[in-house]
Amino acid sequence: MTKIAQELGSIVGSDAVDQWENIEDRRRVEIARSLKAETFPSCIVYPHTEAELSEVIACAYQNKWRVLACGNCSKISWGGLVEVDLVVSTQRLNQLIQHAVGDLTVTLESGTKFADVQDILGTAGQFLALDPTAPELATMGGIVATADTGSLRQRYGGVRDQLLGMSFVRADGQIAKAGGRVVKNVAGYDLMKLFTGSYGTLGIITSVTFRVYPLPEASGTVVLTGTADAIAQALTNLRSSALVSIAADLLSSGLVACLGIGQGFGLLTRFQSIPESVNQQSAALLQLGQQLGLQGAIYSAGDEVNLWQKLGEPISASSTEPVITCKIGVLPSAAVATLTELNKIVPQSEILIHSGSGLGLLRFEANAATPQRILEMRSLCQSQSGFLTLLEAPVSLKQQIDVWGYNGNSLNLMRSIKQQFDSKNILNPNRFVGEI
Amino acid sequence: MLTQEKKQRNWKPIIKQFEAVVGKNGVVKRREELITYECDGLTSYRQRPDVVVLPRTTEQVAEIVKICDRNSIPFIARGAGTGLSGGALPTEDCVLIVTALMRQILSVDLENQQVVVQPGVINNWVTQTVSGAGFYYAPDPSSQIICSIGGNVAENSGGVHCLKYGVTTNHVLGLKLVLPDGSIVDVGGQIPEMPGYDLTGVFVGSEGTLGIATEVTLKILKTAQSICVLLADFTSVEAAGAAVSDIISGGIIPAGMEMMDNLSINAVEDVVATGCYPRDAEAILLVEIDGLEVEVAANKQRIAAICKQNGARNITTASDPVQRLKLWKGRKAAFAAAGHLSPDYYVQDGVIPRTQLPYVLQEIKYLGEKYGYRIANVFHAGDGNLHPLVLYDNSIPGALEKVEELGGEILKLCVKVGGSLSGEHGIGADKRCYMPNMFSPSDLEAMQWVRAAFNPKGLANPGKIFPTPRTCGEAARAQSAKQFETVERF
Repeated sequence: MTKIAQELGSIVGSDAVDQWENIEDRRRVEIARSLKAETFPSCIVYPHTEAELSEVIACAYQNKWRVLACGNCSKISWGGLVEVDLVVSTQRLNQLIQHAVGDLTVTLESGTKFADVQDILGTAGQFLALDPTAPELATMGGIVATADTGSLRQRYGGVRDQLLGMSFVRADGQIAKAGGRVVKNVAGYDLMKLFTGSYGTLGIITSVTFRVYPLPEASGTVVLTGTADAIAQALTNLRSSALVSIAADLLSSGLVACLGIGQGFGLLTRFQSIPESVNQQSAALLQLGQQLGLQGAIYSAGDEVNLWQKLGEPISASSTEPVITCKIGVLPSAAVATLTELNKIVPQSEILIHSGSGLGLLRFEANAATPQRILEMRSLCQSQSGFLTLLEAPVSLKQQIDVWGYNGNSLNLMRSIKQQFDSKNILNPNRFVGEI
Repeated sequence: MLTQEKKQRNWKPIIKQFEAVVGKNGVVKRREELITYECDGLTSYRQRPDVVVLPRTTEQVAEIVKICDRNSIPFIARGAGTGLSGGALPTEDCVLIVTALMRQILSVDLENQQVVVQPGVINNWVTQTVSGAGFYYAPDPSSQIICSIGGNVAENSGGVHCLKYGVTTNHVLGLKLVLPDGSIVDVGGQIPEMPGYDLTGVFVGSEGTLGIATEVTLKILKTAQSICVLLADFTSVEAAGAAVSDIISGGIIPAGMEMMDNLSINAVEDVVATGCYPRDAEAILLVEIDGLEVEVAANKQRIAAICKQNGARNITTASDPVQRLKLWKGRKAAFAAAGHLSPDYYVQDGVIPRTQLPYVLQEIKYLGEKYGYRIANVFHAGDGNLHPLVLYDNSIPGALEKVEELGGEILKLCVKVGGSLSGEHGIGADKRCYMPNMFSPSDLEAMQWVRAAFNPKGLANPGKIFPTPRTCGEAARAQSAKQFETVERF
């Protein structure tokens, strides 16, 4: 047994430490996809409590062991490649701390799975207004660390907008917290926002408090498909109408074909409210689309649920080719035009843009990717005030390209924040922008 | 730890440098003119600044800050001066950088629903600029006709409509910042979630301690098709509180939900005489709902039924803008009205979990009786944000100290039931000594790391948010001074 595994075993118990070669195959492969080179971490540790996690990190801090933090490893391959001494998983920190039904808040340990939280909330007629990648596997901590939500951003905002408070273990192993359990709070700095999307580089989140919402009474989705021009016009009309959608996503023809919902570009618009409102709005948008010459259909009940579920799943799951997934952002007004241009660079790419925020996902098979093509797509997004970040890609590709594509002027500030929070650079080193 | 040196700074050469940047008219240095700036909306603390500078551009702000940095002069940014926590309170030996001349709306992009403004732009102007096209800016603090966007950003201001749409931080996409060393950076952008740390998120609500925002990119929202305000009056505060809980748990999220108690009702009726709020009611509830006509019509019925079930005596509704404004008028005038009830008032803005409302209100009443002061209660009931107004007379020696102690007890109560010290006014100079009630030394140290990264010399708005032993006595002395050894104190 390695020295690291031995020492940490004395903190968490030997059943909560797996040496690298004993880690189950699937997980070992997942972790390897985040590694810079073939130098493997010595072990993975699963603390049972915040106190144990605190001790583990304090020990790593003293010994300057570099740590890769993760939850359930569903997004561990995202971000920059790392070289670490050990992996720490929060997946056994999975207790519900408080569901304050009347206050519309929920507090959970960070390793709690998103799907489990939704089940608990659902029994009280409430839900978390997030739609992350891999909802069955993703943990709350991982969702926060990667700021990962999807179409629901249109109505509910990002992860940052719903996270009310958190506790975390600092790089030196001490436990700290910020925010609180109430929906409105300006006491102290908003570290929740700083940690959201920080990829575990500032501390390891141990618990989170989220705002929750009442489940809507009714739901319906209008699917419109057709030419780029007609879709662009439909979007413009939708924006200036009185209709209030909770999601409005623009889809590339590749994605429309993959979902089998029509031909050409697509616009998926979801309404959730009282039944009269959903019916009225769905009918109005369908009519608007048809007047523009678009094909249209209204999805409801099981069909609707399936449609959104399929949209969240990785590209043609049948494909044996490795897949590249990018997070992109473009000005909402340029979404259709940018999507058209991106499609020219990689014709079969599956692109989804949330029309309200301009954020989206771009997926294509890795054999269609060259660093040049990715840089070309990145500069296209940047020309529309946006960005392109490589989330998932073969290690060989990540080694050739800056995965983040940060082109702003505050890198020094970000580096000094990292320096303050993690002076020994032991937490997820090199995972974030500018080699943070 | 630094100890303050009481030597008088020679301001003459420094003022010359400021004048070279902003011209003679942009620098205020005469004692009688400086008096205007000695406090903000929290008038119980006063300190005259040594110099006030009024820049017009980002570059001018940067030059002024560089001069401060070179000469180690503390600087404090001030917008319209309406803040209620003393966030813009000057310190000894400081420069006040006032954004009152930075009042340009720099761009309006309706297609992408965003507006770029200078920090001195008044909150209400944003909505006025875009309302013709069917849009509005959601955060609406009661002072919205005079408070500035820069101040809103610093304090992360809320308002009566933040229950459904969120507070300032949920509506800021990006910022141009002058950092405390005078460098200029852009954080965030026109699209949310740009790569890198969310520096916009951590800056909003940092109360001027991390730098000065000189351009703010705001999200604007589409005006709802239909808006309706309901006014319900109750014979007990508990009944009104129960109605609030039932509305929320019934799955309705109103745009805003406000409550006022009997003392506040009578105060506003005395002052603005709306004739809308029954003087004998123990509590009134104002609920604004918005959305499609069909939704508003249905929710109006449901809310009215819930209020009736909880014993509401009368329910008035208003859909047209004039009537709606009339119903809101009293609520918006509540603070001003308290000023008529009593020579002075002291306001807190603690937050509690909504469900604790009846208990906390009872406790506040006991505290008022114990200390011998009347307390008027106005609050954002939907999100549990209290605004107890303690009525007192500052000309009575020792009264302020007693009232502050009472305010402190209310805040401790809020924290005890799982709430927060402040929902929207900020910690500022006013509440920093209570921070250790809510946060551990380890929590506060982690927050100080952010400050140390942005503001390593501690020149930007010193003495705010964080407790210091010199001013907070025992509460802060419990914090080991060693914890903060990297941060200078003034």
